[in-house]
Amino acid sequence: MARTLIRRLGFGVIAVLGVAVLSFLLEFVVPGDPARAIAPRAQSAAVLANIRIQLHLNQPVIIQFLDYFGDLFRGNLGTSYVQRQSVTSLIGPRLATTGWLALAGVIAEVILGGGLGILATLYPRVRAAVGAVNLTLLALPQFVVGLLLLLLFGFKLHMAPVTGGAGLPEIVLPALTLGLVGAPWYAQIVADQMADSLASAYVRTAVAKGLPDRYILWRHVLRNVLSPAITMIGMDLGAYLSGVVTVEVVFGWPGIGLLAVNSLQNLDRPVVMGTVIVGAVAVVFFNLVADVLRMYVDPRTREEQA
Amino acid sequence: MTTAAPLAAPGPARAGGTPALHVSGLTVSYGGLPAVDNVSLRVRQGQVVVLIGETSSGKSSLALAAARLLPAAATVSGLVEIAGTDLGKLGSKQARRQRASLVGYIAQDAMAALNPVLPVGRQLAELFTVHAGLSRTAAAERAVAALARVKIDGPARVTRAYPHQLSGGMRQRVMIAMAMALSPPLLIADEPTTALDVSTQAEILALVGELQAETGSGILWITHDMGVVAELADWVAVMYAGRVVEQGPVQDVFDHPLHPYTEGLLRTRRDLRTGRPGAPLYQIAGSPPGLTARRGGCAFAPRCARRTGVCDSTEPELRPAEVTANTEPRATGRLAACHHPLSPETSEEAVTA
Repeated sequence: MARTLIRRLGFGVIAVLGVAVLSFLLEFVVPGDPARAIAPRAQSAAVLANIRIQLHLNQPVIIQFLDYFGDLFRGNLGTSYVQRQSVTSLIGPRLATTGWLALAGVIAEVILGGGLGILATLYPRVRAAVGAVNLTLLALPQFVVGLLLLLLFGFKLHMAPVTGGAGLPEIVLPALTLGLVGAPWYAQIVADQMADSLASAYVRTAVAKGLPDRYILWRHVLRNVLSPAITMIGMDLGAYLSGVVTVEVVFGWPGIGLLAVNSLQNLDRPVVMGTVIVGAVAVVFFNLVADVLRMYVDPRTREEQA
Repeated sequence: MTTAAPLAAPGPARAGGTPALHVSGLTVSYGGLPAVDNVSLRVRQGQVVVLIGETSSGKSSLALAAARLLPAAATVSGLVEIAGTDLGKLGSKQARRQRASLVGYIAQDAMAALNPVLPVGRQLAELFTVHAGLSRTAAAERAVAALARVKIDGPARVTRAYPHQLSGGMRQRVMIAMAMALSPPLLIADEPTTALDVSTQAEILALVGELQAETGSGILWITHDMGVVAELADWVAVMYAGRVVEQGPVQDVFDHPLHPYTEGLLRTRRDLRTGRPGAPLYQIAGSPPGLTARRGGCAFAPRCARRTGVCDSTEPELRPAEVTANTEPRATGRLAACHHPLSPETSEEAVTA
């Protein structure tokens, strides 16, 4: 088990490095001059040249590459071109803000999707209705769901704030948006897994043992749904932490996604790199956590990979 | 045995009392197609009845119907009483409470029949927490005892194991322990040794024999293996295309099969055991009809060497047959559904020659 984890961790580090190298090189392919983005109205070539020297942009790509990754290995993500602040101090608080939203969003997804899936499985009469809801939600893009919620609950019903921010009242609508858009996936996986489980020989054994239906549902059926659900939760947490851009833009949620978009527009390379790397680390980390949890709930996964 | 009318549920004459299982006129159909067709059967206390038949003969449907474990898609009619109780007549809650103390069900594939994500001890202990209202610790102790009863070494350690960590034989022992946990008067075993290797199979059969001698419960054992019949059975019922075509005491049936199908099954077994290397094995030509291919007349007729016109037109009834072995008539409670049953002389010749 420990060996599996160490190997996974190794792959994770390689994946993060790969992402970092790729996105670093990509920045040099993207057209645009950071010096001009920093001083858009500066006409004099001398001013622009000065900026370039300050930011080491006049160096060959290979030197910049080595400088950046040298710093990265020392834990230094560099300084923002625009905000004159260390990237770490810029990202840190925003990571926490996005983290809250990601967590709330995943909880909403699990509750909504799990509920729909269980409903559709246990009550055949509502199955078609649940299917229709799932399909509708799948067809709606995140920003449409977000804007609809904002219109309805914010502007019409005045139940939720519309001015943006990262407080408790502000989290409800963006989390609900993530929940609604993600729910069909969970509903599907829960319904499929439950159907398999209910048709299984071990549930027949449980029936033969005279166990109450509810007991069978909780102890035997849903235990077997946990494993794939955990994998999905891990994937979602990682993906959301690397920035739920659309939702953050729609609701003015000051998270890492908003920061990434702004930095990309400003050609603020160190910040873009920072958000990409933090996102990659989040994806690797949460997938690893999901793997560990899966080993806990499904003993079969403990040995097969050892 | 003087009347030719179909008997409600014939069984051996020697044992008395309430039968462990009493099945009468049982029909199980899927979408209007009968998988089990008007079957009557009786398992006495302390008796092992082996139900033998090929794939799709309906023997598993019969087992599941007897244990009331059929999926909702199946339509069931007829009487099933376990130790005098018809689970279908009880309310669902009552039936649920009583079923595990009335009938233990042992499935074919123990790996699939045990929950993969729960330790086997928990799966045993829940019987005691739910039905006997025991605390978790007390139930865990009972689980250890239940495993010790099926001769598992280090039962305490095994309770903590997950199904995939156990061998096939161990898993089947766990299933048996589970089925017998509440000492039901009836055990239904649906080919529990089919997936096991021969030596493990022998161990399991010996174990079941021992436990059965201890507890005196009745056993309905489903198999397609004549060897298992010889090993375990007191009474054998042969199923073909959803119907019982022959039944009787195991020794009588083996010595003098009445139905050509039974005789064919016995010949295949004899060939497997004593056939010379390289000699062709006997096989019953053709294959059993599927659910949709059932027809009028005797279902076995298309594969039968003794077939005549009446076999195609009239379905033979299961009726009592007196076997006159060595000119000495004996009422054995045997039944056969055949227009042209083998006489003891011909069957003797057929099997031993």
